[in-house]
Amino acid sequence: MKYPFMIVWLKELKDAIRDRRSLMAAMSYAFFGPMIMAVAFFALVTEATSERDVSVTIHGADYAPELVSFLNQRGIVKSDEDEARSIVMTIPEDYQSRLESAQSIRVIVRADYSERSGSSQRQRVERALTEYNQAVASARLMMRGISPEVMQAVIAERQDTATRESRAVLILGTVMVFVLMSVFFAGMNVAIDTSAGERERNSLEFLLSQPISRVALVAGKGFAAATFAVLGAVLTLIMIPFVFTFVPLEKLGVDASFSMWTQAAMALVLIPVALLASFLQLLVSFMAKSFKEAQTYITFVMFVPMTVVFVLEFTRYSHPALAYLPITSQHQVLLSSLSGETISVLAVAVGAVTTLVLAGLLMLGVSYKLRSEKAVFGL
Amino acid sequence: MIIVNDLKKSYNDVQALNGLSFHAENGQITGLLGPNGAGKTTCLRSLYGLIKPDSGEATIDGTSATDDPLNVRRHIGIFPDKFGLYERLTPREHIAYIAELHGFKGATRDEAVEKTIQDLGMADIADRRTQGFSQGQRMKVALAQAIVHQPKNLILDEPSRGLDVMSTRILRELMFGLREQGRCILFSSHVMQEVAALCDRVVIMVKGQVVADDTPQALCELTQQASFEDAFVQLIGTDEGIMA
Repeated sequence: MKYPFMIVWLKELKDAIRDRRSLMAAMSYAFFGPMIMAVAFFALVTEATSERDVSVTIHGADYAPELVSFLNQRGIVKSDEDEARSIVMTIPEDYQSRLESAQSIRVIVRADYSERSGSSQRQRVERALTEYNQAVASARLMMRGISPEVMQAVIAERQDTATRESRAVLILGTVMVFVLMSVFFAGMNVAIDTSAGERERNSLEFLLSQPISRVALVAGKGFAAATFAVLGAVLTLIMIPFVFTFVPLEKLGVDASFSMWTQAAMALVLIPVALLASFLQLLVSFMAKSFKEAQTYITFVMFVPMTVVFVLEFTRYSHPALAYLPITSQHQVLLSSLSGETISVLAVAVGAVTTLVLAGLLMLGVSYKLRSEKAVFGL
Repeated sequence: MIIVNDLKKSYNDVQALNGLSFHAENGQITGLLGPNGAGKTTCLRSLYGLIKPDSGEATIDGTSATDDPLNVRRHIGIFPDKFGLYERLTPREHIAYIAELHGFKGATRDEAVEKTIQDLGMADIADRRTQGFSQGQRMKVALAQAIVHQPKNLILDEPSRGLDVMSTRILRELMFGLREQGRCILFSSHVMQEVAALCDRVVIMVKGQVVADDTPQALCELTQQASFEDAFVQLIGTDEGIMA
């Protein structure tokens, strides 16, 4: 034990581990965050991929057996269910005769068009009818010696550039926001307890009167909180693949599995963020007058990095500088490690350095703050 | 050896220390006596460099507390005004923590901790978490933290508050023992009997200034009062803040 800050670090760790509340706070976030996310994704996946049959009540099905079997192929089944709830299709009696004489046939699709949840079903029914219409019309044109292409002046061709990975980024980007947030939340209680808590239980004055520099003291406390922050992040990272085995992400074409190495690398990338978060929390705690006040302020302060990450995540805003700035840099690294993009070593290094520099400045800030008698005695 | 020379410190418009000067010799117990708000705690805090005086200087064994607080703190044991314990740690861990901060390691540290526990007669509580400790038990832990590194100088801020008779005796014997070893003991108090019984020398301060500095007997003679308490009242000119 060469360095004084290690003495403080170890003591604070011992103290914090015995504090079940801190431990629970750190670990419950890591535990329940991915769980909640998985539930949300589960709902999303089943909603987005459900190609369930649409059951439609068809009146006069006997008049148009080919149409009914065509609809059947498109997953639209005739059912005799409760009429009020489903879509009702009425085929007119003169279907065959009008078809033969090439006259328009009115097939009535009756449903509550204001009902949002059934809109995709109604669209499917209508699309199927349109397709059938085109098939019949094309056949008629061809019989009259006209190419059906005359009916299609412009065709919109959809080319989906989404790859498995890029789709994964869309989904797992949100997951990474959770990972980043777990860094901020897991160490929070420890940070408050070693600072505002230390002052509130009147042990700060005595500790500051010991032959240890303020910087070493602050470093020890910050490292203790950061240790918890990293632990929380690691737990979240471990939980994610585990939790996602229960979500059929492969239906969306998303590959949620990442290797142990990726996980380890992610945890490493997050260490500077953990230090940054912890020293920021220490600074805010020492500025507050009491434990309660510190909790309130920290919650506000934590909104800042969270907002930044969320805004970036949802607006997809990009700027070259973001790759080098604290938090945004790590966010991008986490994202690109998912999408399989090559990660610029320079960006990772510069991002880590800027984050560490900021954390170091905050550490000095806290030490400076402790020179003030106001902060020490909580005046 | 603690020397305080012309210390001045003010908070906004309150002059807490106003040219305070005194010294505490090795091998003596020096009592810092004064009514509430006299500046006792402020004075002691500036001794261990927690408060920076506006002017003046405090030196301990020749080292200035303002210039080199870390070095000064290595040579003093502190029993602070406010002492809080870590409720999830045991007294043994508390004492070991402070010993480590003073540079004790491994077996040396464990020996020092064990010796302190024996000296203070606290073996029965040494390995219990401090949550729920009585005031007296807390006091003992704080005292143990003050003396574990065998400091040359001991600074105690009202050490006897909240102690029962047995603990007070332990404290008194401890202080006498340390005096025998030639250490410098400075403690603040506003309890008359305690000061009269313990001190070789009394420094009476009022409003941040020393009004008397002598042995208890000499102060009685000076004021021509039979009891030390009456002498004190006459010296400070008011009976404010005295606990008989």
